[in-house]
Amino acid sequence: MEPIVEVENVSKQFGPITALAGVTLDVPSGIIYGLLGPSGSGKTTLIRLIAGAMRASAGQVRVFGRPQPSRANAARIGYMTQAAALYPDLSLRENLTFFGTLYGLDDRRLRERVEAIAAEVELADRLDSPLHTFSGGMRQRASLACALLHEPDLLILDEPTVGLDPVLRRAFWERFRRLAAAGRTLIVSSHVMDEADRCDRLAFLREGRLLATGSPSELRQITEQANLEDAFLALAAGTGSLLEGGVR
Amino acid sequence: MNLRRILALATRIVHQFRRDRRTLFLLFVVPVLVLSLLAWIYRGDGASPVTLAIVNEGQSPLAAQIVTGLQEDASLTVREMDAAAAMRALDQGEVDAVLTLPADLSLRPGGPPQQIEVTLDGSDPSTTSAVMGALTRTLPETVVRAVNPAGLPIQIEPRFLHGGPEFDRLDYLAPVIIGFFVFFFVFLLTSVSFLRERSEGSIERLIVSPLGRGEIVLGYMLGFTLFAALQAAVTVLFAVYALRIHYVGNLGLVFLFTLLLTLGAVNLGIFLSTFARTELQVVQFIPLVIVPQALLSGILWPIDSLPEPLQWLAHALPLTYAAEALRGVMIRGDGLAALWVNLAVLAGFAVLMIVLGTSTLRREAA
Ligand SMILES: Nc1ncnc2c1ncn2[C@@H]1O[C@H](COP(=O)(O)OP(=O)(O)OP(=O)(O)O)[C@@H](O)[C@H]1O
Ligand SMILES: [Mg+2]
Repeated sequence: MEPIVEVENVSKQFGPITALAGVTLDVPSGIIYGLLGPSGSGKTTLIRLIAGAMRASAGQVRVFGRPQPSRANAARIGYMTQAAALYPDLSLRENLTFFGTLYGLDDRRLRERVEAIAAEVELADRLDSPLHTFSGGMRQRASLACALLHEPDLLILDEPTVGLDPVLRRAFWERFRRLAAAGRTLIVSSHVMDEADRCDRLAFLREGRLLATGSPSELRQITEQANLEDAFLALAAGTGSLLEGGVR
Repeated sequence: MNLRRILALATRIVHQFRRDRRTLFLLFVVPVLVLSLLAWIYRGDGASPVTLAIVNEGQSPLAAQIVTGLQEDASLTVREMDAAAAMRALDQGEVDAVLTLPADLSLRPGGPPQQIEVTLDGSDPSTTSAVMGALTRTLPETVVRAVNPAGLPIQIEPRFLHGGPEFDRLDYLAPVIIGFFVFFFVFLLTSVSFLRERSEGSIERLIVSPLGRGEIVLGYMLGFTLFAALQAAVTVLFAVYALRIHYVGNLGLVFLFTLLLTLGAVNLGIFLSTFARTELQVVQFIPLVIVPQALLSGILWPIDSLPEPLQWLAHALPLTYAAEALRGVMIRGDGLAALWVNLAVLAGFAVLMIVLGTSTLRREAA
């Protein structure tokens, strides 16, 4: 089966800064794909390229077989940015209605989905309060709700669980798992290694380069480390053959 | 282009400002306050008339006649005093000027012109011109009355094509104030809301959504046009019905010109907001974008009275054309036939700004 996302030798320059250098990876359908790496390693940059928020300096990103950014893909992708990136003066309902309408939901479906998604992220009772009255975690859930509203086939979530308490974090990951089980594809970035085990496949990024890709068990195996944090460190220390990333 | 998406964006903008009391105050109350203040300044009767000290040295009949004439001038308060007291009063600012009528002042037909001396403080040009204006208005008349009690043999009889004898500075200013506030607030609100869109990161959500760049620009224009139209309506109604300013125009044309100005201002705001990173930096655009237009677009001084290079500059500013058109519509009752140049220039400015605004959005995804 054709992968949902194909990243081919992609680089991104910001002036003198190389945010990504020659990254190649495929995301198959129906899984949770984790992008892991320390701060500044290029996770957000890669995510923005996949979401179609900007263009690569070199190489190509294809989503659903079409080169990004593509207008035709837009409605099938849900994107949760690293910051909440919603409208704090507007109520949750107004935010959801706005994004839902942009994604082409008709009035009836929009009403249904707004109620359903608010209940799902446990914000049904706050639908009509403005977002600036929300706590950080509530804002994060509101942001996720806006990305999920139109039931996209591909969900791209940039550090969705940062700043969440353990209970909420578990709830988020259970929700991601349910979505993947329902056939959606998720790309989730994180710099927390204990989240890596919850993904089906992983890509380790460091200083704009891909260290390795593979399932958590594959990565443990090739590095001969018991936990993924050590696996990452071993890869980052960079024994030559491992940098080639034999596991794709 | 999808109308539903454009409307969604316009609706969002309305929702964002609907609850923002400060912005609503800025939009709808400030223009009314400014107009009221101007009305008070130009129509209130608090203005203290110029005080003139007269030193009447000889008490000649002509001198007495001149004193009476000046006393009758409503713009002057006249006090007679001796020379020393008068100079002291001028020095202390109790009087604005001292007029000295010499002892031998009399009519000497055919003789050389006689001098009467006015001493002015001179440090305030408006007082100087008020004193000189009153004197040049009143003196010839009173002198002629000395020989001919009917006064000047030739009288000026004004006839007005537009406006009238009651027409004052406020009538002249009000139409332009409307255009100025629309431009100012729409520019400010668009650049701030666009900047927020960028700094909060929501612009990224818009860019990856099915919303096109053109739709973003159209949505913004639609949302702000609504506010601009409401603001123009409030300001015009207040000026016409509460301040009773001179108004013979067509409200439709007022809205047409306001609309063109709004479209230009929205896109100028979108365009310039790319060059700002904070709201303070947006505010720093005001001296650059707003102040020159306030000074040069004929709001305060007629453009003809400016030095020539500044006149050229004035004719490069959109507000100049809007101000002229709004005055034309409201004061002279001009129709489109007389204002098509203004219409074309404003439409051209709007199109140019739309192109610039859209192109900045295109660069957003670079
Ligand atoms: N718009 C930009 N302009 C200039 N440099 C940028 C820009 N965006 C990212 N960078 C640079 O690219 C590199 C990668 O940044 P990126 O945001 O992708 O990292 P990240 O892995 O998401 O980090 P974090 O975990 O802190 O979010 C950094 O060096 C950053 O400074
Ligand atoms: Mg990031």
